[in-house]
Amino acid sequence: MSQASDIARLLYEDIRHVALAPYRGAKEIRYTINGLQEGTIPPKKVAWTVVSTMAAFLVTAMLMFPIYWILTIALNPSGGVYTTSGVQLIPDTVSLREFAWVIGPITTPEAISISLPFIGKLFSIPVPGAIANKYVFNPAAFGVENIYTSGQIIQYGKNSAYVALWTVVIGMSVILPGAYGMSRRDFLGRKRLLYVYVLLTQVAGSLGVALLISLYALFNLLGFMDPGANTRFWLAVYYAGGAVPFNTWLLKTYMDGIPISYEEAAIVDGAPSWRIVYEVIIPLAKAGLATVFVFVFLAGWTEYIVAQTILGAGQYTLPVGVYALSPASPGFSVAWSKFAAFSLTFAVPLMLVYFFMQRYIQQGLSFGGMEG
Amino acid sequence: MSTSNVVQRYKESDISSVLSENKPALLVLPGFLLWAAFMVVPMFYLSVLSLTNATQSGQNSLYSGSGTLLGVLPVGAADFVGLENYMDLLFTDSALQQGVINAFMSDPLSIFEFAFWNSMLVTWLFVAVSVFGKVVLGVGLSMVLTGNRVRGKRFFRGILIMPMGIPVIFSIVVWRAVFSSADFGLLNNLLLRAGLISESIGWLQDRWLAFGTYVVTEMWLAYPFMMLITVSALQNVNGELLDAAKVDGAGWFARFWHVVLPSIKRPVLFGTILTSAASFQQFLVPWIFNKGGPGTEPGKNALILVYAYREALVSPADYALGGAISIVMLVFLGGFMYVAVKRGNLAEEAGET
Repeated sequence: MSQASDIARLLYEDIRHVALAPYRGAKEIRYTINGLQEGTIPPKKVAWTVVSTMAAFLVTAMLMFPIYWILTIALNPSGGVYTTSGVQLIPDTVSLREFAWVIGPITTPEAISISLPFIGKLFSIPVPGAIANKYVFNPAAFGVENIYTSGQIIQYGKNSAYVALWTVVIGMSVILPGAYGMSRRDFLGRKRLLYVYVLLTQVAGSLGVALLISLYALFNLLGFMDPGANTRFWLAVYYAGGAVPFNTWLLKTYMDGIPISYEEAAIVDGAPSWRIVYEVIIPLAKAGLATVFVFVFLAGWTEYIVAQTILGAGQYTLPVGVYALSPASPGFSVAWSKFAAFSLTFAVPLMLVYFFMQRYIQQGLSFGGMEG
Repeated sequence: MSTSNVVQRYKESDISSVLSENKPALLVLPGFLLWAAFMVVPMFYLSVLSLTNATQSGQNSLYSGSGTLLGVLPVGAADFVGLENYMDLLFTDSALQQGVINAFMSDPLSIFEFAFWNSMLVTWLFVAVSVFGKVVLGVGLSMVLTGNRVRGKRFFRGILIMPMGIPVIFSIVVWRAVFSSADFGLLNNLLLRAGLISESIGWLQDRWLAFGTYVVTEMWLAYPFMMLITVSALQNVNGELLDAAKVDGAGWFARFWHVVLPSIKRPVLFGTILTSAASFQQFLVPWIFNKGGPGTEPGKNALILVYAYREALVSPADYALGGAISIVMLVFLGGFMYVAVKRGNLAEEAGET
């Protein structure tokens, strides 16, 4: 449990750091103005700071503009992308209607039940009639007209969560021992395998398209796509396999950073090897484990092409659902503002994950830990 | 007596020592086998399919009949045809009824009228242009964002890597709307309002304009990767060397050229090779933008994977030909990676000495 609280603490510190940024900025500005007045800071230096920060801001704003544009569309459903009034830097009316449409009606359940894959329903407890089937959240309050078309995100989200959770369970159970073996043990062909893994980091994901034909045929022939088969589970196994090279290598580079003397001390104290892993390696590699966890989770959560080819209509995951709703897709699609709200609800949490994990991801991709 | 002799000999033999020395491989094997089951097996099966005439439905359907090849590989009602698909692909084209070699002899440029060679041309062009763009954008951004006088560097970097976290399918649909040919398309709208154009441009309706939009989108999707690699390389540049160069009177450009560039060269080169491989396999951008070519010239901009997908899964679905295209593509990709890594001498970077 301490791992989770440690990660929570790191996250808290990061959020605090970001939240206090304006305060630090104001302090620095006051200090600079003081310095300028007293003549201890040369004006040229200040001018440079202002100019280069402005340049960084402009570049960032330009690159992020398409995302901001989509946000304004989602917040201003009356305008939308089809108006000729065009791009509004600041939307004149702001409404959360489309986001309410995305979430859809939420009611209290009639029964609480728990079921497991391959086993089925474990138990089911009926909820008393007085509080069953009542609205917890009613989008009609936000002006959503047809509440019955809304709320698909819940079903897509459930499918995505199912796939992503199995991806994580299967993936982590092979990545963790693999990374430990690569980092701490030697065996025939270790360096060669490591090298293959490194080369596959950028390739592994998109190899799926090249192999799409045979994956589709094999899934079909093996019966993974039959109506009764658990297609989503096999899809998760496929994602876990695809996530192995990059994440094993990433975790290995973290473990390389843990001094070997800790392990030696544990051996001298007579700890068996499972205890060394559990009490020395895992706690010290927690930042790496968290990063790998997120990457493996996202592998299942965001993949589109294979999911779109393999999954049937009722099994759509979020990315497949996003495209199915998008005005770009040939079939059923919804208004731009609805699509924008839907896909932002899907994308923004992931963007925040990357924002806060920036330094860990950078560490992982720095290719500094490749020796050995 | 004789049994214990065998055991004794086994214990002394190389096999036993090799096995016991390599026991840690058992930690790595499950992951490797899982990966191989979903990558190597389909790859092998794909190469088998490419030697048959399998289709999705019809007379040679993969799913009707129970024919097998070599007794184990299910190929349905398809027949083994040898290298016919590859010959069709590389040297003739049933639509043109003409050999590539003849065409090449009479007019070298005319081989690009053959679907496969046209796709090869477009793919390599896409790799060259987009990789150049990605590296310049990535390195340029990193230089700006590691500048000494920029405030809030980490904040800007955090914002700028967010495209990495956005689901690709969402980014691509958004960029398709940016390049939409109607007045409301973001780019058309901005240009119209700035008065630079008088009527909307059909960005996705012209072959080379559409190619340009692919490149811009690919650059946007991939710059965070290059930026992260370059930023961490820049942070490892030896500060003392920079100071020494400054004391010796080296200007900004001289310092960049003689101190910074040599120390970031290898990580950037490695990133470039990996990102080239990603460009080579771009599929979603051309597919979602305009199915690999404007309506007037369908398939003209089909990057190699789009071409394979069009043949294999858009009716009439020809698994065998699509498989052959994918295999040729994998051979090119493998060759490219091999040459790049050997010439770039990057093997030692990954610890293989």
